[in-house]
Order: sequence, then structure tokens, then C-alpha cells
Amino acid sequence: MAENTENTENQDIHVQDTRPLKPLPLERAILPLQNTTLFPETVVPLAVGRERSIKATEYALSTEEKLIACVTVKTKDVNGNKAKPSDLYEVGTLVNVKRMMRAEGILQLVVQGTDRFRIVEWTQEEPFLKARVEILPELAVENEEEVEALKRNLQNLIQQALTMLPQVPAEVRMAVMGQNDPIQMSYFLGSVLDLGEETEQKMLEAVTVDELLSLAHAALAKEVEIMEIRSKIASEAQSEMDKSQRDYILRQQMKAIQKELGEDDGERAEADQLRERLEQADLPEHVFKEAERELRRMEQLPQSAPDFHVIRTYLEYVLELPWKKSSEEKLDLKEARKILDEDHYGLDDVKERILEFLAVIKLRPDSKSPIMLLVGPPGVGKTSIGRSVARALGRKFERFSLGGMRDEAELRGHRRTYIGAMPGRIIQGLRRVGVNNPVLMLDEVDKLGNSFRGDPASALLEILDPQQNDTFRDHYLDLPFDLSKVFFIATANDLSPIPAPLRDRMEIISLAGYSDIEKLNIAKQYLVPRQIKENGLEENQLKIIDDAINLITSRYTREAGVRQLERTIGNIARKVALKVATGDVEKVTVTEEEISDYLGGPKFYPESAREGMPTGVATGMAWTQMGGQILFIEATLLPGASGLTLTGQLGDVMKESAMAARSYLWSHADAFGIKQEDIKKNGIHLHVPAGSIPKDGPSAGITMATAMASLFTGRKVRSDVAMTGEITLSGLVFPIGGLKEKVLAAHRAGIKHIIFPKQNESALEDIPEEVHNDLTFTMAERISDVLEIALEEEVTDPIKTYDIPEVDAGSSNDNPNEPLIAKED
Amino acid sequence: MAKSLDRYFQFLGSAKEAQPSGRLWYPAADVYETADGWLVKVELAGVSADDIEIDVQGNRLSIAGCRKDRTCAAGMSYQQMEITYSHFEKNLEFPASIERAKLEYNFDNGLLMIHLIKEQ
Repeated sequence: MAENTENTENQDIHVQDTRPLKPLPLERAILPLQNTTLFPETVVPLAVGRERSIKATEYALSTEEKLIACVTVKTKDVNGNKAKPSDLYEVGTLVNVKRMMRAEGILQLVVQGTDRFRIVEWTQEEPFLKARVEILPELAVENEEEVEALKRNLQNLIQQALTMLPQVPAEVRMAVMGQNDPIQMSYFLGSVLDLGEETEQKMLEAVTVDELLSLAHAALAKEVEIMEIRSKIASEAQSEMDKSQRDYILRQQMKAIQKELGEDDGERAEADQLRERLEQADLPEHVFKEAERELRRMEQLPQSAPDFHVIRTYLEYVLELPWKKSSEEKLDLKEARKILDEDHYGLDDVKERILEFLAVIKLRPDSKSPIMLLVGPPGVGKTSIGRSVARALGRKFERFSLGGMRDEAELRGHRRTYIGAMPGRIIQGLRRVGVNNPVLMLDEVDKLGNSFRGDPASALLEILDPQQNDTFRDHYLDLPFDLSKVFFIATANDLSPIPAPLRDRMEIISLAGYSDIEKLNIAKQYLVPRQIKENGLEENQLKIIDDAINLITSRYTREAGVRQLERTIGNIARKVALKVATGDVEKVTVTEEEISDYLGGPKFYPESAREGMPTGVATGMAWTQMGGQILFIEATLLPGASGLTLTGQLGDVMKESAMAARSYLWSHADAFGIKQEDIKKNGIHLHVPAGSIPKDGPSAGITMATAMASLFTGRKVRSDVAMTGEITLSGLVFPIGGLKEKVLAAHRAGIKHIIFPKQNESALEDIPEEVHNDLTFTMAERISDVLEIALEEEVTDPIKTYDIPEVDAGSSNDNPNEPLIAKED
Repeated sequence: MAKSLDRYFQFLGSAKEAQPSGRLWYPAADVYETADGWLVKVELAGVSADDIEIDVQGNRLSIAGCRKDRTCAAGMSYQQMEITYSHFEKNLEFPASIERAKLEYNFDNGLLMIHLIKEQ
């Protein structure tokens, strides 16, 4: 056995070491370390890549002991290659290289710390650092109790740390826990924990165990605290995730339960069903694509998602709409005419137009459907003719009323983003009829409202334009739908509230009121049979003779249409039904005389031609929504007064018309045999009964002129003459509207002679023949034409001259800014 | 923290010897009981007999020394090194005092064989 050969210097250092001392040359290769500190008694892997470090390592490996001195670089920004001795700490760890591998120019080392050393003297800088090092003595214990206490605390902390690191393998755990040497424990912690180079260096330079332990204790305590916070954060995040995880799992379980119960997988079944329908439905390509896209979205949603139902409703809508389905056209013109005649008496314009349309369709099947607007008073059959048109064409019929509609969305739908969104009325109607070429009736188009929600009339502009409506886009569907095959019929009572652009898009057909004769025929052909049937009578049990019907139309009803007439007939039928049911009679014939027994006294005394009218009264004709009417214009002289007093709720236009009439007479007094003096000396009061009904319009111009002329000439106006026409200041007669209704009313009132503007000549054609034959017509171009016919030859009531102080008549009464009230002196 | 954990695992991951291990290499040893005493076999391949010291105190046998690499001459360099060259120390406890036992030793195929013959 060899004796030890170590030198004396080393023996001095390892004073207490009982082992034989090791040979330890003083000069060592120095390996500068970046960002890491090595401690004695720990095994650490090291990667050496820098050229100078590789040289130092290779030198160390070529020695017998494989020892290298590792020192940490003080300042971080120094490149390891260039580290000067002054950049390094003085105390380091001597390590034994246990293993080495070369890999791609890098030396992979496993080193084990042996002793701490202090650099005594630098001996070489290139090609690698070398220095004389002095091995530092073992750590001394200053206070044994304190070391013991610190050691136990440290062990507790280690235990605590390990509970927070469940991934550490059991055998490592045992080894760490089994560690009992306080120095090893501390050095181990120093190399495991990332404490920063300064703290680590402090631990390395610690001279006593006490100092080392307290440094390690502080470092680990901090580390444990950080770990605690981390694990708290992590567990919070975990619980957040657990909640959604839980929801998902419960949902899956619910699905499984549903499946078990046979409520199998509602959403899939529903989606599959829709897909099947989609594939079978004959949809245009762009519609199919969109529907397919939505369906795919739906398939990905759980049934509980609100969107699921929104999409389902939408798809059902899309599938049910008649994209390509049309009903077959009946193109038998004769049959069509027969149907139209069966349903409605008269209304020749409408029937004609529909037959024309049918003819066009027959010749050119792809022609666009017309858009008609039926204008007329209530009860003339506008709405019911729609149904009849549909029947004649063999199309389906759908109607809805626009009356009071204020929301654009009612026509065009809501966008699907809104809750409870629905398509507009147009699309709803088409879905109901199930074909894309129905007769669609838009009732009461003149009663459209508008509000802040948009103007439905403007939406109608698109719908009713044959050039645009083949790509009508409902907000809900958001797909273009072809409306060009739809036969639109709009109805209105009055044209004036309909915006001009909308009016412009439609063919206007006006339905005037019915004449008495037409009413008689309608009553006989439709109303009486219908009421008989509705009241449960047999056809032969009730007969109303023509004169009785005429009495009803003239004295018990006042209307342009026939609704009230039908109600009144129904009234009679009910009373007859009572008699029949009680067994009093078997059948009844109602005559003119018996009407009052059924209906009481007459309800109306229509303005009829007056007998024995005084001078200054003329018969005019007016148009109302109820049809035409005659009215009387009464003028009287106010001797000694001046100016013109107008009463009877006259509008501005009518007032001005009266002034124009008076001014014309005044300025052309000689031509009519009137003394200007009379006009100057007398005021005029002009009244138009009935006083409570507002009146306006220029069409009473010639009537008012006639009344005034009658007054001044003293010639009465013929009582069987009625007149209408606008007067101008130069005495011309201008055209007016509603002639047909006016003529019918005059005829009803027993007028024999009608004076109307020459320019209205064409309207004569509309007047039913039986009326036309009863009347004489005079077409007037100038007021003189009117007066010539209207005034009697005989002067019956000449103006008396009163002795009245002269008044300056012209000074105030013709000022247009003055109120039109007679100035009494 | 991440770095320290990484280091922790890297460190712990490099097998059993990677524990806080003390500063020395502890070579493996077998101890046999024979009719006349003990036979100790220590794995000390490549260790020169000159570098080994054996000491007996009470019932403890201490073997210490150093394995030096004498192969690496000038003009050579390591490509790979797996053999540990360092100081070693091995302390073996026996049930009874061996202070007075007679020691015989020899190297056999890189194994140090120590024969302790009990005092009669």
C-alpha cells in the first residue's frame, strides 16, 4: 500500500481532514460561467461552447484529476470570450468533470463540485484563463442551536415545496428528504433554485454554516411563497374551466337520457328532415345555396341555442314559398266574361281590362301581370271584383288591407336579427296561397299611414313596379323573389292621398257610383236572391217589385254603392222570414206602398229639383265620396250694402270662384242687360246649403254666376236645369271632374237639362244610356252660353230702387286682403 | 421560476447519481464472509495500487484514493469521457472490530480484493 505523497501546503488547508491529503497542483484552468453558480457537492450538467472555455476544459481533461475551476462572471453584459480576470468573482468552485460528450462543437459535461477556492494570482489569459487557487476551508459552525433550528425550518420548507410539486418522482423525494447535512442541503438548493447570481455568489462565499443556512432559508421561503401564489392562480383558472366543462358534460348526459327515452336526438332529426325536404324541393339555385348554408349552420348548433329555432323557422319559410310553382292559367275568354258578368253587374271598364289582359297572356304567356288600381266610392264592389277576377283567370286569390298600415316592415318584413322577426305581408300572402301567380289585392291603398318606422307607400313603389319587382327582396328572406307574375289589384276610395309616384305605377280604373237603374238591376239580380238565401227563405217566398226597390234606393239609402241597399233588403227579408216562420203567410210580394210597413218612414229626402224657385237661386251639381249630388246656390240682394258675403262653409277656391263670377258680371253688365248702378248699390249674400257641410272647389263657378245674374236681371233660373263648370274672369267655362256621378245625381233628382263644360264632352260616353236618353245636355264654352239656357225669358222680379245714400261701393269691397264680409253703413 | 424548475428536472432527470452526492466517488464493493474472516471486493479498475490507502479503525475499514487518467498524453484529446477520475473513499462497517485482523490484498482484473483474516 502506497504512502501518501501530497505536499505540505495542502495539509495545512485540510487540517481537520483525517483522510490522506490529495495531490493538488495549485495552478488551475479557470472556466468562466455565465448566469450560473456551481456549488460543492452537487452534480450539474454544463454545456461549454465558447472557444476559450473549450480550450480550458480540454486542458483540464488532459490532466490526471480532471479538475477545473469554475468562477461566475460578475457583469452580465460581458461576452464570455472576452471575460477579463477583473470581470470575475474571486471565489468559485473546483469541479471534477465526471462525463464528457462532444456534440456539434459543444462539450456536454457533467460536473461535480468538490471544493470552494479563492483565486490568489492570475497566471495566464490566453489561450485560456489560468490562475493559482487556494482551496477554502470547510465551513465552520458558529452556533450549533441556531444551525439546528435553521436546518429544521429548512426541512419543513422543503417538505412544503415538495407537496406543491407533485410531479417530482418518489425516489427523488426520498433522497431530498433524507438529506441531513445542512451544508449539502443549502448548496443543493442554491443550484436548484433560480436565485440570481448575486445571492448565489453570497451563498458560495458564506464562511459559516449559520450564514449559509439563513441565506438558503430566505431564498427557499421566497420561492415557496411564489409557488403558493402560482398554484392559487392556477387553481382559480382551473375552477373557471371546470364550470364550462361541467356544463358540457351535463348536456351530453341529457342527450344520452333523451336518446334513452326515445326522444331521440331532436335536433338531428329535425335537421335531417329539413335536409330531406330541401333536397326534394325544387328551388332556384341561389335559394338552394343560401338554404343549404343556413342548414349547415343549424346542424352545428345545439337545439337549445336560440338561433336554432330562428334558422328552422326561416328554412321552413323558404321551403314553403312558391319559388317556381304557378297555378295554371284558364285562358277561355268567353268563360271568363261569363264569370265576370255573373258576379258583377256593370263595371264594364274593369271587365274589359281583364279580358284584354287575358288575351295578351294567351298570345304571349310570359308577359308581365298588370297592376290595377280601382278607385271608387264604398260599396261599389271594388273588393269583390278582385275575387271575381281571380275566378275568371283561374288563379288563387289573396287580399290584405293596407288601411292604417304605418310600418314599412309590415310589407317588407323585419331583418332576421330581430327577435320575433317575420316576413312582410306580401311574402306571407304568397306562402298562404302557395303559388307565385295569385291575384293579390291590396285594399285601401289610399289609407296607408306613415310614421317614424318608415313609409309603407314607398315600399309599395318597389313592389308595384313591374320593372323591379322580379327581384323583390324581403328583409326577412333576404333573397330575391319574383313578384312579376302576381296580378296586383289595389283599391282606393280617393286618389288624392295616394302619392304621385305610386299612382303613376298603376293603371287607374275608376268605378263611379251606380245609377238608380243599375242599382235596380243589381238588387234584382244579386241582392234580393242573396238575402233570400241568407235569411232561409225559398226563392218564391219573397218578391220585391221594381218600384219598391226604386223607393228604397231613393228614400231609404243614400250611397253610390249598394251596401246599404243590400242591408235594407236584408231587413225586409228578415221581417218576411219572421212572418213565414210564424206561419202567418207563405209568400210575400212587397210593393211600393208596403215599404213603410217594413222600414218605417223614408230616411232621406234627397235634394230634388225644386218647384217655383225665386230669382237668385240656381241648381248646381257636386261630387262627394258618396257619389254625386245636386245643390242649390242661393243669392240675395242686400240693398244699400256693398261687397259679397259668402256663407255655407265654403273653401278658399269656392270663395274666389264666387268673386270671379261677380266681377265678371259687373264688368260685362251691359251684355246681360244689367245696370252697373244696381250692382254698385247692392251688396250680395250668397249661401250654399246645407250649411254644416264644408264645400270647396271651382266647379260651382257658373252656377254662382247664374244665380247672381238671375238676381240682377230679375229673370228666374229654370228649375229643371242643373249646371257645373268653372268660371274664369274672362267668362270662359273650364272643365271639371266627376261629371258622371253628378249627372247620375241630377237625373235622380229629376233634372231634365244639364249644362256642362264643352271640354268634358268625352265624359258623356260613360253615362248609361237610359240616363242619357232622359236628359238634354248643353255644352258651354262661355258663361253667356250658360245664361242663355238657364235663365227664363220673362223678367218676373225686377230690382226695386231704394232711396239710399250713395256709398262708394268700389273702394273697399274688391280688396282681396279684406275679409269678404258686407260692409254695413 | 420556470428556469429553476427546468433546472430541477434536468438535474433530477440525470439519474441516481445526480443527487446531492457529497464530494466523492464511492466505488461499489462486495463483502463476503469466509471461514476465516472476510473477503472485500472493490470495483477499482484503472486505479494504480500506489494511489490507494487502506485504513482500519475499530470495526471500520476505509479505502481511499484517487483514480488518475494516465492515458491522455500530449497530442491527444477527449472525444468522450465516461469514466470518473476523481478521489474516492469507501467505508465499510463490520459486525466486530477488525483492528487486529491481518490484511492481504491484490488486484484481480481491475478489482481490488482485500482479505481480512480474523485473529485466532
